Amino acid sequence: MVQSAKPTQPIWCPGCGDFALLACVKKAAAELKIPTHELVLVGGIGCSGSIHNFLEINGLHALHGRLLAQAVGVKLANPNLTVFAAGGDGDGYAIGMGHFMHAFKKNVSILYIVMNNETYGLTKGQPSPTSQIGFEGNIEKPFDAILTALSIPAPNFIARTFSGDPKTLTAVLKEALEFNRAHRGFAFIEDLSPCVTYNDTYKLWRERVVDVSKLPGYDASDRKAMFRLCMEAMDSGKIPIGVMHRPPEGAPLDPALETRVLPAGALGPARADIEIEPNRAAYAKLLHSVA
Amino acid sequence: MTTPASRTEAISTEPIPSPGTPPKRLADISVMIGGQGGDGTLTVSDLLGRYFRKLGLYVYTSRNVLSRIRGGHADASIRASCQPILSIKPDVDILMAFDEQAIEIGRSELGPEGIVLYDSTGSAADVPQAYGFPFATLVGGQVGQPIYKNTAAYGALSVLLGFDPVMTRQVIEERFTRRGEEALAKNLKALEIGRQAALSVPGLADRWHVESGEAHDQILTIGNQGVALGFVVGGGRFFAGYPITPATEVMEYLQRYLPAFQGVVRQAEDELAAINMIIGAAYAGARVMTSTSGPGLSLMTEGIGHAGAAEIPIVIADCARVGPSTGQPTRHEQSDLAHLANLGHGEFPRFILAPATPLECFQLTVDALNIADKWRAPVILLLDQALCQNTTTSPPYDLDGIHMVRGKRLSGADLEKMTEYKGYAFTADSGSPIAPPGTPGVWSQVTGNEHDEWGHVSVNRENRLKMMAKRMGKMVTAVPDLPAGKYFGEPHARIGIIGYGSTIGPILEAQERLKTRGIRTRFYQPRTLWPVPGHELDPFLHGVDVAYVVENNYTGQFARLIRETVPWHHAKLRSILRYDGLSFRSPDIIRPITEGV
Repeated sequence: MVQSAKPTQPIWCPGCGDFALLACVKKAAAELKIPTHELVLVGGIGCSGSIHNFLEINGLHALHGRLLAQAVGVKLANPNLTVFAAGGDGDGYAIGMGHFMHAFKKNVSILYIVMNNETYGLTKGQPSPTSQIGFEGNIEKPFDAILTALSIPAPNFIARTFSGDPKTLTAVLKEALEFNRAHRGFAFIEDLSPCVTYNDTYKLWRERVVDVSKLPGYDASDRKAMFRLCMEAMDSGKIPIGVMHRPPEGAPLDPALETRVLPAGALGPARADIEIEPNRAAYAKLLHSVA
Repeated sequence: MTTPASRTEAISTEPIPSPGTPPKRLADISVMIGGQGGDGTLTVSDLLGRYFRKLGLYVYTSRNVLSRIRGGHADASIRASCQPILSIKPDVDILMAFDEQAIEIGRSELGPEGIVLYDSTGSAADVPQAYGFPFATLVGGQVGQPIYKNTAAYGALSVLLGFDPVMTRQVIEERFTRRGEEALAKNLKALEIGRQAALSVPGLADRWHVESGEAHDQILTIGNQGVALGFVVGGGRFFAGYPITPATEVMEYLQRYLPAFQGVVRQAEDELAAINMIIGAAYAGARVMTSTSGPGLSLMTEGIGHAGAAEIPIVIADCARVGPSTGQPTRHEQSDLAHLANLGHGEFPRFILAPATPLECFQLTVDALNIADKWRAPVILLLDQALCQNTTTSPPYDLDGIHMVRGKRLSGADLEKMTEYKGYAFTADSGSPIAPPGTPGVWSQVTGNEHDEWGHVSVNRENRLKMMAKRMGKMVTAVPDLPAGKYFGEPHARIGIIGYGSTIGPILEAQERLKTRGIRTRFYQPRTLWPVPGHELDPFLHGVDVAYVVENNYTGQFARLIRETVPWHHAKLRSILRYDGLSFRSPDIIRPITEGV
């Protein structure tokens, strides 16, 4: 068999939360038996965005903040591919915020994983959009991606996980990938992934995370209920984790974008036969329509 | 002179010719229609164009509109000729004005024998040869809605120009039948109101007579349509864009054309998303394009650099308008070239192609897709507003000479023979074999970081030197695939002219007029602007004593690139520049050349 690019050694510091995410991604993909040549990981810029180098899959290392736009392009060009986008909180919630909001609205069946460590690690510890007040002089209120995601009325899969709980992380990743592969739409996972060097939050987060599915009134198909549940948990100093939204089973769904723009069974832009001969008659008809 | 706004009779301000005067015959006519946005000036231009095409004439129209939906001055100019034309006539023969502002603006362009027709409902004209008709009042009273005044104006023009009444009516039927019976009936009524008004002025009928031509095989199109059609037959299947004047028509045409070919068109949230969506789709193996104009191009610069570094084949159609910043969105300029040639931080290969007619837009878009695919680099199609949006008769688009060049795309059979698959393999010609994601048995790592042959991030010094040489080498190895320039005029003339894009229209016309004065010229139209075609410029400049470089910008951007490429010819170069937002007219080019002789 022909040799493709071999995985390289992660650049991450020992103990980084991203190791857990990497291991869980490998496990989830293997358990779902997705062929490696059909897996594409679009990585952002930052520590977490280098993850595509450490896997035996197709990798596209995007520009800072632009990974979602590139991942959408990959999926629409070849809907047969299983497409991840993965990056950090600065990448997704600062420079990439515009694309982040529109990804929910577009509802293309890709999985977006944000490894949130509440800091810019690669540039050595500046405050990020999710940094708490007081961190490295931060005086701006942190942004909450889950509340934002819940506010956009599209049938997406939304979850928050914690790298300190790999078992749940793997299960959520598998559910999200299956959601994508069934062309049900966009899946978003915010993984709390501590930066052991510049913002070591393992201990703090382990104490504060609360599994929303254990809370009274949990119903992941009810956005209003989940919004209230998350707000109440946050008000009491907790960090809600778990599946925050999954469209109700069996309910009529807005189809994912790739199924709206391409007919069922279509090969799509990347695989359609574009040679002149098979298209000659249709091309001639099109050109003759200009009078 | 003032005229009461309420008058209802047509009044001529000039002596009316006696009925026996034979009509003046014209083989080249220009009509300007001006008014407020929403007055329907473009409709009058369209109706006249349809009639002229029935006569077998070549047609060229331009529009001057403000960046607003309604209101503000707007005008349209239409020229029809027995000879092929690619520019607006220097003088206006007939001005059709819907208000006084249109008269003021139009009179400065009116030829010495020019005639003005105007809507006297709220305007007066202090111009010789002006005929006022209260179109809005007449149509408002008899049809019920004054908006049909534009069709009445077409009716009056048809009388002045001696149009055949049956063909005149056919034009209205062809244009308005699809709008429904009521709209057609009202337009036909308005047409008759306009015709009768003009016929009531003694001597106005058949004052001028437009000759017939032989251009019946021509189509009517715009450059943006040529780009869209070229994208389809060139195998383009994924387009993402963001609305921006004057590029939007490319996206709108593709929204109509592409779905039938399993293609996808997406309107993105901004130009950053648009360029990155096409990068993702190109990585997946699709042929892709976006179209934009200056402000969008500035945002896309980041992505274009990424495609250059990561060797991702993308095509960008830059429909240039007046810059910088928001500039003048609806106006014409050629001031993006310097930015495109140097665009992005760092150094990476890019190719800039410059079509000059809608047919060349079609052909060069196919070339751009082939070049991008073969050489895995960004290719920019540089258009200008006049080329993008001015309608012109053109030979029909066809598939002659259209072919696909896929480059080193690896099939499963190719891969079986290989032991290693490296997406950035070093090769003698700088092009690397590629297998898109989804190809069984292999996977690709693609990055904008400096990388090794496998696509892994690398800071190795030797690798950096080899990768830079590999990427930049494309600027040399791809040259035989780049569109060659065209030459017009007399091959041994000592006066040279250089121009690209829509300037070729006024240049070709200037050449003809100079020839009648005994001034012989040769004209070189480069169709690749980057890399600057030194191999074409050097012999051309060698053969002339002086070369006029005609460009719509302030600093002479292409002249500067020529000086940089063939500096030994610098003393021969003279710039002819226009940057007021309008296209060149042939006298702008004739004057400096005549003065230089």
